[in-house]
Amino acid sequence: MARGRELFRYCATRLALAPLMLWLIASLVFLLLRVAPGDPVDAVLGSRAPEAAKAALRSSLGLDQSLWHQYLDFLGELMRGDLGVALINNESVRSIIGKTLPASLELGITALIIAAILGLAVGFSGVAKPEGKFDLAGRFYGIGTYALPPFWAAMLIQLVFAVMLGWLPVGGRFPPSLIPPEGSGFLIYDSVINGNWSALQGSIRHLVLPACTLGLLLSGVFTNTLRLHLNRTLKSDYVEAARSRGLSETQVVMRHALPNALLPVLTIAGIIVASLIGGALLIEVTFSWPGIALRLQQSINQRDYPVVQGIIVAIAALVVMVSVAVDLLVAMLDPRVRY
Amino acid sequence: MAIDIKIRSVTDLPRFRLQASVLIGLTLAFTQSACQPTRQSERLTVASAGRISSLDPALASTTGVLQVLNALGDTLYIRDNNGKLQPQLAATKPELSDDGLSLTIPLRQDVQFHDGSRFDAEAMAFSLRRFLRIGSQRYLVNDRIESIETPDPFRIRLHLKRPSSSIESLLTSPYLTPVSPKAYANHADRFLNDRFIGTGPYILSSFRNTQQRLLPFRNYWGPAPRNVGLDLINLSNSTALFGALVSGEVDVLLSNSLDEDQKRALSHRASQNLLRESQGPAMNITFVTLRSNTPPLQSRTVRQALAHSLNRRLISTRVSYKQREPLRSLIPPSLRGGKTEPWPTYNLAEARKLFQQAGYCTGRQLQIPFTYRTNVPSDRLMALTWQAQLERDLPNCVQMTLNGVESTTVYKQLSEGSFQAVILDWGGSYPDPEAYLAPLLSCKRSNGNICEAGEAVDGGTFWTAPGLQEALSRSDMLKGEQRLHEIATVDSMAARGAPYIPIWFVAPKAWAQNRLSSPTFNGSGLVNLAQLGERR
Repeated sequence: MARGRELFRYCATRLALAPLMLWLIASLVFLLLRVAPGDPVDAVLGSRAPEAAKAALRSSLGLDQSLWHQYLDFLGELMRGDLGVALINNESVRSIIGKTLPASLELGITALIIAAILGLAVGFSGVAKPEGKFDLAGRFYGIGTYALPPFWAAMLIQLVFAVMLGWLPVGGRFPPSLIPPEGSGFLIYDSVINGNWSALQGSIRHLVLPACTLGLLLSGVFTNTLRLHLNRTLKSDYVEAARSRGLSETQVVMRHALPNALLPVLTIAGIIVASLIGGALLIEVTFSWPGIALRLQQSINQRDYPVVQGIIVAIAALVVMVSVAVDLLVAMLDPRVRY
Repeated sequence: MAIDIKIRSVTDLPRFRLQASVLIGLTLAFTQSACQPTRQSERLTVASAGRISSLDPALASTTGVLQVLNALGDTLYIRDNNGKLQPQLAATKPELSDDGLSLTIPLRQDVQFHDGSRFDAEAMAFSLRRFLRIGSQRYLVNDRIESIETPDPFRIRLHLKRPSSSIESLLTSPYLTPVSPKAYANHADRFLNDRFIGTGPYILSSFRNTQQRLLPFRNYWGPAPRNVGLDLINLSNSTALFGALVSGEVDVLLSNSLDEDQKRALSHRASQNLLRESQGPAMNITFVTLRSNTPPLQSRTVRQALAHSLNRRLISTRVSYKQREPLRSLIPPSLRGGKTEPWPTYNLAEARKLFQQAGYCTGRQLQIPFTYRTNVPSDRLMALTWQAQLERDLPNCVQMTLNGVESTTVYKQLSEGSFQAVILDWGGSYPDPEAYLAPLLSCKRSNGNICEAGEAVDGGTFWTAPGLQEALSRSDMLKGEQRLHEIATVDSMAARGAPYIPIWFVAPKAWAQNRLSSPTFNGSGLVNLAQLGERR
């Protein structure tokens, strides 16, 4: 009971601190965007538009107000849950996030599953013979995939599988000849729910390359973490005790060593979700995946302040939620964890 | 007693590996079956760069949006592929009043909007007034149009603030395409981003930022499109665009965003009859801007010497494999009316002589910091090549140091005089010489050859010449050959002052699969999407 209370208190504290963290992040982004060179007015009118036209637009967008005034307006709207509208085309930021976030989540979740399966399988395959061929190959794989520059690897994979072999589409999220199914924005889910099998096939074909590339690049972290912790666990006392009780090696590994070695992997998975956003940007750019990271990059280039602020706040909120969820899961699975 | 237990081999692991192999095999088999390309439509797939954030003509400025609007809408006039002005929604050429302050345009009477409503003078006036209220580039129109009148249902009259020949070219701009007053009734003062109801050969069937579907408009007044529809896709990088065409995933590629080696590879394929390639009239020019109000570039002799020292042919070969054509004018060739290019050609002896006249080459070197935009790959290559060329050709006279700055910062600091010499480019907002000369040379207040306020300051040259502004204004009042002559005079004045050194122009290109006919361009550098189709 005491542990349950501790866990509840920990989660409540984390959730109570979340708005503070979001405020700090939002303020930082607000400030950095204004300090950075560039002007959204240039993105709308062009850099060589007359100063009078620029001044008129700046005034209509409220960019001629003092920084303090703009900041208070921004905070006021944020507290009301209003993320504002894009300076470029007046589209609501909430709608932009609603359109692009499902694409990124679909890619990220699939990539994470691929990374976990691939990484854990490779990490596990070396257990049979430490320092053996498989173990060395796994070690090399773990370091290699982690060290590969994502942009280069993605481009190479795109050139080989899409351009040279022509197996999969070069980019995009859905075949241009089809109409995407309506619904949640998760095209695979929507295709299944609507029973639209050609849309499902098209969505999967477009998802395979970016998800496998991102999954491959992330899998090394899983491989290395599992290898490290599995080797350590296999040398621990309780594993020795299990062996001495006459359990088969498979039982020892599967029932005793692996579950314990997977706990740190779960924590790592939580951290990967945060870093996934950065990795996804390069993948989204390379594969023209219309996700939130690609939209963020375009909005930064256009200095579209409300869109950049809104997307970063949304991503930060997502990372906080995932982080709390992982902490909860680890605490539930591992009775040793204290807060 | 210590128990000596070695970690034994996991005897069941081979079974695990077998299971894993089967699983991977099944996954690959499934993926392979899903990998078979599916072509489920007769529509053509056309790829271009960048996403489309809005199809509202009032917001249109990028080539990608203008290209789509060109297929969805019509304009009062168009420039044909010979550069001649032709009526489109207008019935005849515009009638100009004697004082040049009123332009009357008779309209076609057989035109319908995509929603079935009639196109008439009121609809045209609604669209123009809407653009004047909310258009992002309304300053271009506001500068000329005082008011709009509709004397009869199929006649529109524009009252001008000043006589302007270039207004005819302005009326070819896709951002002035008419929209249905009925469909835009609730969007008269705000943008409509994801729909478009105009009069063009295609209707917008579906819209996403990265994918748009265009279907032929059955009641179109003009010739029907040669294809059954278009699926337009927008990819975010040059490798994807290049790969999509080469792999056959797309039928047509419209883009200037490709890398030079990719363009060369596609041209090579076209020369082997594997693709069809077309080139349109150039609308983009690249030049060096010289800050002319402070030493050492305050001296016209030094600027002229630099102009003579630039080996455009060599630089174009090294940077773009000769795909960018050398340019010695501020006006693209298609808009110059055959007039000669006034900037000097590469002449090493003349350059050395001028540098010597300015006091360099004899123990004194001109130190010139040259800025390039780091996010434009060809800028850096150009800067490196010119630097190396000067080092080889004029080692005692000039030494160039290179600075890379991100383009946003360059534009921001240009009018502050932060750059002695900087490479920039420019594309006119409409196909007319005025759209190049005025934004680069206009000056509102000057002191001798130094411009103190105006576009020349915004552009970073701070240069003007006595009589230049008058010649510029006069050129917009003249017509025909007289106008071309006046424009050539302004171009020559700029060449003599040399606040800019034009380098090259970039012509738009398009590629199609070999079974299709070659894409064609209009005089504004946009592809005629309705003419894409199977080879006859």
